Order: sequence, then structure tokens, then C-alpha cells
Amino acid sequence: MSDIFNILLLQNTLRTATPVVLCALGCLMTDQVGIMNIGVDGMMLMGAFFAVLGSYLFSSWLMGLVFAVVLGILLGLFYYVFSIRFKSDEFIIGVALNILAGGLTVFLLRTLFGVKGSFSGPGIVPLPTLTLPGIRDIPVLGPILSGNTLLVYVSWLLVLLCWLFLYKTPIGFHLRASGEAPEALRASGKSPERMKRLASVLCGILATVSGAHLSLGYLTMFSENMSASRGYVAVACVIFGGGNPPRVFLAALMFGFIDALGMRLQKYISSDLTSMAPYVVTVVMMVAVVLLRRRKQAARERLSA
Amino acid sequence: MNAGMIQSVRTLLSLKPKQKLTAQYLFSLLIAVTLAFLVGAGIMLLCGYDPVACYAALFKGALGKPRAFGNTLAKTVTLCLTGLSMSLAAKAGIFNVGGEGQLYLGGLAAAVVGARMNGSPAWLIVICSLLAAMAAGGAYAWLPGVLKVKLKVNEVVTTILLNSAAIYFCSYMANGPLQTAERGIESGTDAIASAAWFTPLVRLSNLTTGVFYAAVITLLVWYVMSRSTVGFEMKMTGTNERFARYGGIRADSLALWGMVLSGMICGIVGLLEVFGLHHRFITTISSEFYFDGMLVAMIMRYQPLGVILMSFFFAILNIGSSAMELSAGISSEVMLIVQSVIIFFMAAEGGISDEVRQKAAARRVRRAARKAAKEAGV
Repeated sequence: MSDIFNILLLQNTLRTATPVVLCALGCLMTDQVGIMNIGVDGMMLMGAFFAVLGSYLFSSWLMGLVFAVVLGILLGLFYYVFSIRFKSDEFIIGVALNILAGGLTVFLLRTLFGVKGSFSGPGIVPLPTLTLPGIRDIPVLGPILSGNTLLVYVSWLLVLLCWLFLYKTPIGFHLRASGEAPEALRASGKSPERMKRLASVLCGILATVSGAHLSLGYLTMFSENMSASRGYVAVACVIFGGGNPPRVFLAALMFGFIDALGMRLQKYISSDLTSMAPYVVTVVMMVAVVLLRRRKQAARERLSA
Repeated sequence: MNAGMIQSVRTLLSLKPKQKLTAQYLFSLLIAVTLAFLVGAGIMLLCGYDPVACYAALFKGALGKPRAFGNTLAKTVTLCLTGLSMSLAAKAGIFNVGGEGQLYLGGLAAAVVGARMNGSPAWLIVICSLLAAMAAGGAYAWLPGVLKVKLKVNEVVTTILLNSAAIYFCSYMANGPLQTAERGIESGTDAIASAAWFTPLVRLSNLTTGVFYAAVITLLVWYVMSRSTVGFEMKMTGTNERFARYGGIRADSLALWGMVLSGMICGIVGLLEVFGLHHRFITTISSEFYFDGMLVAMIMRYQPLGVILMSFFFAILNIGSSAMELSAGISSEVMLIVQSVIIFFMAAEGGISDEVRQKAAARRVRRAARKAAKEAGV
């Protein structure tokens, strides 16, 4: 048992949860303006590819991140134009975006790098890992909190920033209002469309950066379909979180824990079963959250009656 | 006005018949397809390929030889069934994105039953496998359906997650408990009795007698959706749930049934793959067949007849793209990009044509104003 439940498990939890955390924060932004963007999975995949491309071309992880962010802005605008400005079905646009991502990344992989399946090599510069000098020496927490890749820390910071942004700033307030009461926002002289565009762009950036973590932080390679439905898991996390960034963060950590646990159990159980676990657990959690909310509501109604 | 009032006004406004395939819509489709092909040609030019040669290879590869044509027809059948499966659920007001998982489970169930019944008459094997495949696919669709109807758990997310779960589960079964002892088969179940195999209609092609089963199902679905009372109720619920409820239609059970039927069709697609092509369950039984069908259904706004016709077009693109890769050298994924461009434009069709119309109207007004000003000046 001790070779499964140890410090490394917690470390892996943080590593595997990070892409989901970043992506879920992106979904949260569009969720707040009333759009369920399931295209984040494709955005994540394209982000992973372009981050590798940038890192490889310029031999610099920073350029990888820059590529991912620029792509995120473009995809966010694209999503805004197609799903909000042209008022099309956000679900269809999301699915089409995911299909485009699958086709485009494989096409570019073959055309630019001339390989099938996956691209890895010494030319790709991974994201740096940070060792935090003071924290490293704390007995148990030290090895968990220190020595992670850059974006792991950035994702923690972003959880806080997103919460501050959404609930403590005027723009965040307007952004939420554009989802809850667009007429009221318009009456106060602000444009809900603008807020939706902002949310869509923020979502694009966060989703592509989560992809960059996948291909430059978690692994140092790009492989076909490497997002592996993590974008959908992120959407599920937003549904658990109910608009609250810290709670979304916890849900993503839960997913990361199951994923990491599964990987360590592969010695004992078939890898197919362990890979299946995170998806099953996510569905079960979704149901559990709904049941809990219902019970709470029923209790409240009984109190008020 | 309170929020509920606004909501109901909005639902009433959404009653406008956007679901029909109008002439204008078909015209837009033509433009979208042309634009998408131009985008594809642009990509080919950028990568240094000759677009004319590529597209010629595409169509020749899909329609040129009897064998290729057979494969294209077989692909049409798959797309058509998966597309109808999506349409059936969507018309009932519920999205089934989990067809891939239902297809896998249906295929696995059909293969297991088919292999166990070795020695029975062929017709009995086919019927029992059919029932097994429908039960497996239907049950796996029922789960997210019931979660949606009873608990309001978002079905898009659950079905997608259940896809991954089912695919891993089937992979586990085919590599573990159900793995065949036969040599040379890496991850597959036992073979079904050869008497029950669907035989090819065109030599060496994937087109088998399974196409007749598919035709029967297609006819049934078309009848249910466009000629029966259930179909009418589905249409009502899909268009406006509140209105349908007011009219005494039980939207919940309708959505649930739409989902289950949709899952059953997916299960049958799995069976067709097993009995027609692989003669056992293998872990690579489908490569996102359901998603291709789903897109066809979305583009044709879930209209059965449109889905059937569009399936043929997408089958040409699908089968032709691999031939194009072989003879022209360009990666076949370029056609996936072309397909997604078609979908983007068709999904945004209403918005784009509205915008174009508004711009044209604004221009007309401006021109009239200028003219009036000039006349007044004179």
C-alpha cells in the first residue's frame, strides 16, 4: 500500500489536475455569461500543439506560451463571432471546434514535422520547474509544494485572481450581469456583447494555456488527441463548482487525484480499468452534486414553510 | 417584467420555424460547401499541392472503382444510421453525444452473443445478437437519459464522459476476460460463427448484406419521425418544450424514449461492424463514426431525408480522403478541416444571412437618402 499512497501521489495529483484547473477556469468565464463552451477541449488540443511549435521553432518555452496565448485570443474571438454574434447553436460550434482541432493538429503534425502519432525531441524546450527555497525544506509539504512546473503555480494564482476578478471588480460584476440580466446591463449603459467577447477571449487563453501545460509542462511532446476529453471534464468541474473558482479548483483536484491514483494502480489492475475510473467518478460526482443540492433546497423549503 | 415572463416570451419567439430545410437554407448549404472546398484548396496550395489533382483523386478514390463505390456506400450506411440516431434524440429534445460508447457496447454485446451461439442456425444468431446489441446500446443511453429527465444533469457532458468510460471498458473486456485464445488476434473477442457473417455485396468491399438491415431501420426511423404521432410529439417537444407540455405531451418520457431509441440504433451500428467486417469485437471497431454522423445530422437540421442524402456526400469525402492521401500525397486530415468549415458556416447560417440582409437594407436606405438629398438640393 505504501508504494501507492505516498507523497508522490499528491505530487502527481497536482500535476495531472493542473490542465483541468486552467481549462475549467476558462469554462467558468463563459459559464458566467451564460454559455457552455464545450469547444474548450479542442482549444486545449490546439494550444498544446502550438505551444510545442513555438517552443521548437524558437528554442524557448516562453515563445511556446506566447504562441498558446495568441492562439487563445484568436480562438476566443472566433468562438465569439460564430456562437454569439451569429447566434448559432453554441453546442454545434463547440463540437465543430473540437473536430477542427483534431483534424488541424494531425494535419499540421504530418505536414510540418512529417510524423504520425506524436512529436517529441530535444528541440522542444519544456516549461521550467520552480524550486521554492524556503518551502522545499518543510518536512511533508515541501516536496509537494516545491519543484512543480511554472504553470502549476500560475494555476493556483489564477484561481485566486479569477475569484477576485469575478466577485470583487466592476468588470467582473458586469461580466456576470451579462449572463444573468443582460437587459439590466444594457439599461445601465454597458454592452453585454462586449462582456461576452471578453469572457470568450479569456476562456480561449485559459484553455490554450492549459494545453501548453499538457505538452510543455506535464509531458514534453505533442501526441494526437492528447487532450483526451480533459476539456469535457473541465466543463463537468464547472458544473460542480457552480460559478465559484475555489470550488471548481477542488473538483479539478479530485479528478487529478483519481487520475494519479489510477496511474499508480496500473501495477495491480488493468490499465484500461484505471483509465476508465476518472470518467466514471466524474459522472458519479455530477449526480451526487445534484442530489446534494436538491436535498439542501428541500430542507430550505421545509424551513421556510 | 419579471425574469420568468421574459423567459416565456423568449421561448415563444423561438417558435419560428427555423428547423425546416428551406430553399434558402439549401442555397446557403451550397455556398458553404463551395467556400469550404475553397478553404481546402487554399490549404493545399499553401502546402504545395495541386488542388485540382487532389480533388480529382478524392472523387475518383470514392467513386471510381466498384470496390471503392461499395466502400463509399458502406460508409454512407454508417453515417446515415448514426446521423438518424442523433436526429431522433435531438428531435425529442435531448442531445445524445454518447453514441460512440453505445456503438462499442452494442458491438461487444453482439460479438459475445454471436460467438456463444456457435452452432445455432444463422437467423437465430442474428436475431439474438440484434436484441443484445439493442439492449446494450439502449441501456447505456437510458442512463444519461434518466439522469437528465429526473435530475436535470446535463446530458451533453455525461454522454461524452460515458463514451470514454465505455471505450476503456470494452478495451478491458477484449484484452482481458473476453480475449480470444486464437493466435494472431491481439485484442479481440472470439469470432462469431461464419454462417452468420454478412456477406459482401461487392467483391472485396465493405458493403455487405447488412445494408438491408440498415435500410429497414432507416425506413422505420423515417416513418416514426415524419409520419407517426410520436414523431409529431417529438417535433413539438424539440421545438418548444413548454408549449408541448401545455398541449399534454409528456416531454420527459418522450426525451427518455428518444434517447433509448437513439442508443439502440447505435448498438445496431456496432453489430453491423462486427457481423459485416471484423466478425468479432476488436478494440478499433469504430474511429469516431458517431461524431461524423452527428455532424451530418446537425448540418441537415435533423431532417431524416436530408441526413440520408448528406451522408452520401460525407461518405465520399471520408472514403475519398484516404485515396487522396495515397495518390496525391496530402494528409487526409485536410478533409476534416473542410468538413468542420462546412459545419461552422451552416451553424451560423441564420446569423450570417441576417447580417448580410441587414447590411443590404442599410445600404439601400443610405442610397435612397442620398438620392433624396440630391433631389432636394436641385
